[in-house]
Amino acid sequence: MSTATETPRGALAHPDVTSYSDVNRDVLRPLGKPGKGWWILFGIAILGLGVFFTSWGFQIVKGIGVTGLTSPVGWGVYITTFVFWVGIAHSGTLISAILFLFRAPWRQSIYRAAEAMTVFAVMTAGLFPLIHVGRVWHAYWLIPYPNSRFLWPNFRSPLVWDVFAVTTYFTVSAVFFYLGAIPDLAAARDRATGLRKKLYKVISIGWRGTDREWHHFSKAYIFLAALATPLVLSVHSVVSWDFAVGIVPGWHATIFAPYFVAGAIFSGVAMVITLTVPMRKAFGLEAYLTPKHYDAMAKLCLLTSMIVLYAYLSEFFMAWYSGEPAERGVFWNRLFGEWWWAGWIMLTCNGLIPIMLWFKRVRLSIPALFVISIFINIGMWFERYVIIVTSLSHEYEPFAWGVYRPSLTEMGILVGSFAWFGFWFLLFTRLIPPIAIAELKEVLPAPLRPNAVVAEGGEA
Amino acid sequence: MSDGNGIKRRDFLKVLGVSSAGASLVGCSTDEVEKLLPYVVPPEDITPGVATWYTTVCQECSAGCGMWVRTREGRVVKVEGNPAHDISGGALCARGHSSLQGLYNPDRFAGPMVREGGVLRATTWAEAEQLLANRLAAAGSSLFITGDAGPSLADVVDRFVAATGGSRVRYGGVSEAPLREAARIAFGRDEVPSYDMEQAKFIVSFGADFLEGWLSPVEHGRGFARMHGVDHGEKGRMAFVGPRLSLTGQNADDWYPVAPGSEALVALAMANVISGGGASAGPYASVVNGHTPESVAEATGVSAEAIRELARRFGSDGSSLALGPGVAGQHRNATASNLAVLILNAVAGNVGRTLHFRDADLSAPSAPYADIAGAIGRMSGAVVLVHGCNPAYTLPAATGFDAAFASADFRVSFASAPDETTATADLILPDTHFLEAWGDSNPRPGIYALQQPAMQAVPLFDSKQAGDVLLSVASTMGQALGAASFYEHLRTRWEGVQAQTRTGGDFETFWRSALKDGVVRVDGSGPEATSLRMPDTALVFDVPAFDGSASDPILMVYPSARFGDGALNGNRPWLHELPDPVSKITWHSWVELHPHTAERMGLVEGDIVTVASPHGSVTLPLWPYPGVREDVVAIAMGGGHTNAGRFANGNGVNAMDLLPAVIEAPSGALVHMATRASVTPTGERRRMASISGSEDQDDRNITPAVALTALGHAADEAEGDHGPRRELQGIGGFVPVETDGEPQDFPLPGTEYGPYADAKNLPRWAMAVDLDKCTGCSACITACQAENNVAWVGEGQVQMGRDMMWIRLERYYEHIDATKASHVDVRRMMMICQHCGNAPCESVCPVYATYHTPEGLNAQIYNRCVGTRYCLNNCPYKVRVFNWYEYNGQEPVFEGMGYAPEPMNWQFNPDVTVRTNGIMEKCSFCIHRIKDAQHRAAIDGGQVTDAAVVPACSQSCPAEAIVFGNIRDPESRVAQLAGDERSYRVLDEVVNTQPAVNYLKKVTFHDVESGAH
Repeated sequence: MSTATETPRGALAHPDVTSYSDVNRDVLRPLGKPGKGWWILFGIAILGLGVFFTSWGFQIVKGIGVTGLTSPVGWGVYITTFVFWVGIAHSGTLISAILFLFRAPWRQSIYRAAEAMTVFAVMTAGLFPLIHVGRVWHAYWLIPYPNSRFLWPNFRSPLVWDVFAVTTYFTVSAVFFYLGAIPDLAAARDRATGLRKKLYKVISIGWRGTDREWHHFSKAYIFLAALATPLVLSVHSVVSWDFAVGIVPGWHATIFAPYFVAGAIFSGVAMVITLTVPMRKAFGLEAYLTPKHYDAMAKLCLLTSMIVLYAYLSEFFMAWYSGEPAERGVFWNRLFGEWWWAGWIMLTCNGLIPIMLWFKRVRLSIPALFVISIFINIGMWFERYVIIVTSLSHEYEPFAWGVYRPSLTEMGILVGSFAWFGFWFLLFTRLIPPIAIAELKEVLPAPLRPNAVVAEGGEA
Repeated sequence: MSDGNGIKRRDFLKVLGVSSAGASLVGCSTDEVEKLLPYVVPPEDITPGVATWYTTVCQECSAGCGMWVRTREGRVVKVEGNPAHDISGGALCARGHSSLQGLYNPDRFAGPMVREGGVLRATTWAEAEQLLANRLAAAGSSLFITGDAGPSLADVVDRFVAATGGSRVRYGGVSEAPLREAARIAFGRDEVPSYDMEQAKFIVSFGADFLEGWLSPVEHGRGFARMHGVDHGEKGRMAFVGPRLSLTGQNADDWYPVAPGSEALVALAMANVISGGGASAGPYASVVNGHTPESVAEATGVSAEAIRELARRFGSDGSSLALGPGVAGQHRNATASNLAVLILNAVAGNVGRTLHFRDADLSAPSAPYADIAGAIGRMSGAVVLVHGCNPAYTLPAATGFDAAFASADFRVSFASAPDETTATADLILPDTHFLEAWGDSNPRPGIYALQQPAMQAVPLFDSKQAGDVLLSVASTMGQALGAASFYEHLRTRWEGVQAQTRTGGDFETFWRSALKDGVVRVDGSGPEATSLRMPDTALVFDVPAFDGSASDPILMVYPSARFGDGALNGNRPWLHELPDPVSKITWHSWVELHPHTAERMGLVEGDIVTVASPHGSVTLPLWPYPGVREDVVAIAMGGGHTNAGRFANGNGVNAMDLLPAVIEAPSGALVHMATRASVTPTGERRRMASISGSEDQDDRNITPAVALTALGHAADEAEGDHGPRRELQGIGGFVPVETDGEPQDFPLPGTEYGPYADAKNLPRWAMAVDLDKCTGCSACITACQAENNVAWVGEGQVQMGRDMMWIRLERYYEHIDATKASHVDVRRMMMICQHCGNAPCESVCPVYATYHTPEGLNAQIYNRCVGTRYCLNNCPYKVRVFNWYEYNGQEPVFEGMGYAPEPMNWQFNPDVTVRTNGIMEKCSFCIHRIKDAQHRAAIDGGQVTDAAVVPACSQSCPAEAIVFGNIRDPESRVAQLAGDERSYRVLDEVVNTQPAVNYLKKVTFHDVESGAH
């Protein structure tokens, strides 16, 4: 970790930002009184939460049958959405930990939002294993704990690995997120009044910005970054094993772990774009989130898109090459079966549309990126849907083939999960500085003007 | 601190702690505390936890199968075939199993009812009987319409109508009158012959659905499987001659899709070939002579060469047998068709060899429609009593029964549950169910069986046996019928049976042994008819005329494989949810059209069409079926109830409404194939409640077949059933083990520890299913449902694919051609949990709700399951079923869903858990039966033998296709079958699951490779 006095390590220029106080003012502005737009969004989120919990409650009372799930399609929208949110959760840690370790300079402006997204996405994803089980009131049996029955979970089951992977990932990313935010929370504390001040006082755990504190902070941060890095790779690998360990044609492939990790980063970065574009506009952070940042994210999208497309094509090739009728049938079905349109959405959104990112003009156009990122989000949701549903519905036994049609309840919970995520993200934009103040300051030129001294006091 | 006396503070706290913990534990229980009343004086024949079995006779159809009834704590929980009985031979059909739901039908009448002001009001038996006596005394005449009644009950009815001045009319929805009439014309015997299929080498069915319902399906199923199943490289052959492939037809080796009504021509042409122009056809020589294969080829639509080939086989393959035509083919010349088939049998020398009159089928429903048609004319102003049938439902609307019944002076029904006839009845005197009542049967000469009450009449319903009611009413009217109770009457009559047996001795001993054995045999066979007589009736053998426009397809209304005519069994969810053996559709009706015909009309599966004949119309969804001729439209009977209870009403359509009231001369039967019907699309479409995913194996080789000629050369075929040695993950998942993957190897070498340590003494339970014998009759499915408390889920849920059957009887078409005579290849697969040695479901369950027992069973622990459904996803056989809702509650979770209202839940087998919402279940190999056998062996100090462990499906299989046992014992039948050259295991090659279920390939007469595609 460098300090402000050293040469900024290839920092992106923020031409409009000249002083530390500007940073504090601009970044902390959203923490003030919320505007009308925020309240509208928050209202929508609350409404969506209502839909979410009503649907879930209805399902718990009546039975999991209120979904469209059936034999042979035992998993559907819920597991799709679970994997989708776990995927979204990827980019946060990638940007904050891996890019930090690799000293990628463009990450400071976006990593806070990305990390928040990670934490909330894991919180969302974590609900889905609970939502999808038949007897949610016994779901705690998946957790290994000493009990009078002397029963442990089955450590051979990928679902138990999931429990470990997701809880570990959540713990580490939450700690990482919180740790990184402490100096900024202190900055917010110094500006806030009343109840908020008390809150920030507690959660900034007495940060004063002393040299010693910064020393420990930066060491802790780098350790956590190192700790979080393997998790980026492990958690989605484990999630992919939910499928790859199964013997379902279309699931049982060794390519799954890297393919899923790439897909997760792909969708995560796309989600960061989707979230930060409106945030940047609403809170006037254009100076901090510049087209150059988006250009960098778009390149990451492009890379992962190519990996994902390669994975798709190699899966199709392997299915044909294997000569195994069930495997061939599943992949044929993906393109031309009942859910052909889902398969083509997946290919178009994840493989074809991102080709536009080869063009610099597209990468530098924020509206274009925003639109593309939404397509990628849709495409990545459908990717999981296609993997799960088309594979299960046309397995080995032709007579047992079946049809799955998602129900209204499942749609309610799917939409509600976005509301749940949005609820936390909206609170985040109000409570925690959405851009890392301290890190931004690192890359600004040293303070020149007198009022910068005051600002430095404020930063402490 | 303490003075040494009294309670120390620590002790006090301990006691406090323990007692409050106890209190809170009690408080934790979510279940209501039930009051348990122990027996004050325990009944002698009830040991709690131990089943008591009774023998009785099934009354579901007229075949008269002997039954064993399993009762637990005084309640009937299961019925099985009586192995000692000649007809059932230990097996039972699906309808027989479903009689339990007739007993526990929640819509049964609570007691006698009388209609006042158009509304039924409860009354007492005394009042009701008095009312009937008064009305009978007042009315000038009475008509007693009875269905299949046992001989003793029929006797009481006859005495009753004689004493009260009325007449008795026999009626049944399906009638074998043409066959009986033909037998009378041909041989002078007014009887339905019995068929000895086992002795035949070649069977030709002229549309007789003998595996589904024709005459005696269980007996025929057994005989056919023994004849048709391959044995030491030989197997019998079956050809089906008819316009529609029924389940029986699907089991045939060759199909001659003849034009509707032309069966007689084919039979006569065959007789012509066999008899060399009719020389040996006796009095029918000229008729036979006039029908050469060439002359009938055009009318039948089958080439002369094909008929000659068929005749050549029929005449030369040793003993042969021609059957039919069945009820579905009863057209205007039905008697002539039956006669032609009898002539064919006579010419081929089958009479006395495979077709017998000495033990004629006494129980075959003969009641001709002409009788009730006559009665319809006499109903006006009369007292009409109805017992054991439902004419308002089974008679076509065109017969005018409803109007005539309405014009009767007083209408009395003995139905125990509502039906269409009780809808307008004035007095309802609910009869007991046959499982609660005395009775008897005499299905053929020399075979008698007693029907005894296996339980006290269900106390929710105040029912009384019809025989007792009649005796009581008669005595009210001052007429003594000779006995005080029906029981007494029955015993008196059985003294006569004892006299016939010439055993002598104490009657009580005879009676008890008759009850215990469930069958009494008397040397009572009659003389055998051998030679043809001169016909006394002029008959026309030509293709009959059909009503309606000549451009429309011919309508075929056939008895349902599940319901028969559906008269009295419409309110049984088990039967509704049992997939039809042919269409695999549940709950609703469908109309069958050939795919080409459907395509020409621009219709696809699920399109709702209106089928209209000149006599009526019904609207129902289309199911394209390659097994019907392109000029035929077929609908099953048994749907469209309007007043038969909550599960029956509104499901499907009643196809009888399309038929005219035409009487076949000379038998007097109702003509079932009488009219053409137009098919008009309505533009609507529905999703079928079908369990069928794909009808094509899609190169998966789920049910391979082997040609008969290839048997014995299995090694040359190199299909690779038992692949090379492979690595298998040992128990615990970490130790690779070298194995061939044979079921006998289980547990695998190197994995014997813990409970597997003494593996040598452990059995491995396994199954062998002979797909060459399985006829697809589906009896196993309902048997399994009854045994294992498998829930039914309702039409909407089946539509979604959520049926809960533990047995999925798959049906794949390999070759069906409705345009010309050719071979039939329909493959079946009784798919159940394979109890894999290397089970994919076990490793993925996060909570060990499914695991392997030391005996090789894949066990499912219901109360451990949290419902992740990963096991379902990972099961390549898709045999796991999930409880998406609570399907066993008192109320349905949503309208139309499965539930078990009082007293249907009385049927639950106490040995098996009733599953709840949100958990997975599957076939357990009837683990409770295995455990029971092991416990008994432990008590008796003996060994668990193969014979002691019989799962419900295997027990019930009429075809004897399912064999269960310990595969580690080389002497066991299952081990021997597993070693058969036909043995294979499904998907084992692909996914290395090491299943415990070994299938034996179907054996075909055609070359499989060229025939399959």
